[in-house]
Amino acid sequence: MLLHDRSTTAGAVLGVVAIVFLVGQQLAVMFGLFTLMSALVDNSGADIWILSQNSNNTSTAGDLPARYVDRLAGLEDIEWAEPVIYSGAQLKLPNGRSQSVQIVGTTRPALEGGPWRMAAGSNDVLLEYDGATVDKLDLADLGNPKVGQVVEVNGKRIRIAGYTEGSRAFGPTVVFVNSTKAREITGISADRCTNILVKLKPGVDIRRAQAEISELLPKTSVLTAATLAWNIRVYNFTNTGIGSSFGFSTIIGILVGVVIITLTMYTNVLNRQRDFAVLRALGARQRDVFAIILFQALTIGCIGLLIGFFLLAGFLFGVKGSRLPANLPLWLPPAHALFTFLLCFVGSALAMRRALKIEPASAFR
Amino acid sequence: MNTISNSPQSEVHSLESNVESLGVSGTPVLRLEGVARDFTDGRVVRRVLKETTLDILPGEMTVLAGPSGSGKTTLLTIMGLVLKPSAGRIIVGGEDVTGFSEDRLASLRRQRYGFVFQQAALIPALDVLDNVLVGTAIQGGRVSAQTREKAISLLSGLGLKDYLSSRPQQLSTGQQQRAGIARALVSDPILLLCDEPTSALDVESGRVVLDTLKRLSRDPRRGVVLVTHDPRVFPYADRLLKMEDGAIVYDTRSAPTGGN
Repeated sequence: MLLHDRSTTAGAVLGVVAIVFLVGQQLAVMFGLFTLMSALVDNSGADIWILSQNSNNTSTAGDLPARYVDRLAGLEDIEWAEPVIYSGAQLKLPNGRSQSVQIVGTTRPALEGGPWRMAAGSNDVLLEYDGATVDKLDLADLGNPKVGQVVEVNGKRIRIAGYTEGSRAFGPTVVFVNSTKAREITGISADRCTNILVKLKPGVDIRRAQAEISELLPKTSVLTAATLAWNIRVYNFTNTGIGSSFGFSTIIGILVGVVIITLTMYTNVLNRQRDFAVLRALGARQRDVFAIILFQALTIGCIGLLIGFFLLAGFLFGVKGSRLPANLPLWLPPAHALFTFLLCFVGSALAMRRALKIEPASAFR
Repeated sequence: MNTISNSPQSEVHSLESNVESLGVSGTPVLRLEGVARDFTDGRVVRRVLKETTLDILPGEMTVLAGPSGSGKTTLLTIMGLVLKPSAGRIIVGGEDVTGFSEDRLASLRRQRYGFVFQQAALIPALDVLDNVLVGTAIQGGRVSAQTREKAISLLSGLGLKDYLSSRPQQLSTGQQQRAGIARALVSDPILLLCDEPTSALDVESGRVVLDTLKRLSRDPRRGVVLVTHDPRVFPYADRLLKMEDGAIVYDTRSAPTGGN
């Protein structure tokens, strides 16, 4: 009966679209940020990360002796172990201003933990003493440096030797260099590093290897890449205001949707009380009325979902390859659809309650 | 306050000679025994329908008349099993249904009752044919091809063959009311209850509807009860009941009908 009233139906559908699109868009950006937060860890190729003692994420880690790498060489389970350097720095722009950057120093010749996707060419450019890569999406922030252009970071010269594509991280722009240049820029001495990346041989039990390394290097934090990635996400989510911002906007999206659905469904029942009374008089039981309202809610949910997901797909397509991170994990759309149907049901509960109270005798008044 | 006419009592008496007497016999399709209904208005309990005993016989058209507030709609809704009486028994087709649950009463209404409401009360979201079939499908059952054919046949017989897929709002008021009659008949009810079916109709449309109802009341398996203020209806009655202050005060059949 609701579906007959186009304006009312449109209102209810709008509520569902608001939920699907607003919440979906917020979640897509949030998961995009999650991906970005742990991108350096997820794309490092390492199974285990070693951090300074009592650190549980890279943002709070100090440095540690690089010689630990040699100790690890004695363990059978390890395929490789490489020190890397992560540190903040200031890149001088052509206009004289400075731009904060993250220096990622990877060790030659393997260059493990370095850029994982180049716009063109290979990351071999980092084998050169002053070679550096920056991401295409960040060029504007860095004054649009050309390949071959020399720029200063912390007063040290680096040469832009290539562009990466999507090898970015959360926070300041990432500049990949080799570890020698990174030490020069950051002042970290040759016998120190900030992290050690460990790749295990195929088939090795990661928990056992983690325990062995922890025993071997007791004054460090030994974390699996998955744990570290999770820790980084949680740290950033709770310490940067992202959590409260996204949580707030997601809740607003849900509330707006539920209020619209509730009001339109309720208004419809109020406007159609006589019709429901007539149906009751003709022999509809309360559960039949319940089924009608539920069917209406689910139909509106389906239409709203289709439109909402279409808009969401447009949004994801639009931001693809842009600086705005957006990522919708495969499990999210069905979960979101289920959640939306649940909200449709909640939104129609008030209408349901009203409709179930309608007396068949009122058809005769 | 609306009344049957300016002088209801004299109007009814003058119509007595017009009321057809069929001498219908047989088992009542509906029997009310000492039925009464109270409404609570705040702390005050008001008896809006005084104890009433009434048989509705098949093959006759019973017209229930009376001014607004006389209790005729209350009596009709109790007959229609949509309002429970505060006292008394309701017997439908020989079965006492007074203690039936809401669901059983709903099923009984669906299977054995037909309702014609004021202004047709068709569902605007459905086309005319679906409106006729809605009662048969309302409990989630499938509409058989036979029922569908019957609905089409009923609508055709009522001059609505060309309007099967029209929306109710595309029909005139008289056509809507005829569609409402088709809806009431599709389940082949033993009792047809009509609530002021001509109140919103012009003279000609009202005549068509009344002729139709009169014809339907000739079915020896079915009783027809019609509630009205409209004096144009009285000549169609086989039996005329007049209500005042919650009681039947006049019955063209001489048998006593209760009431205080």
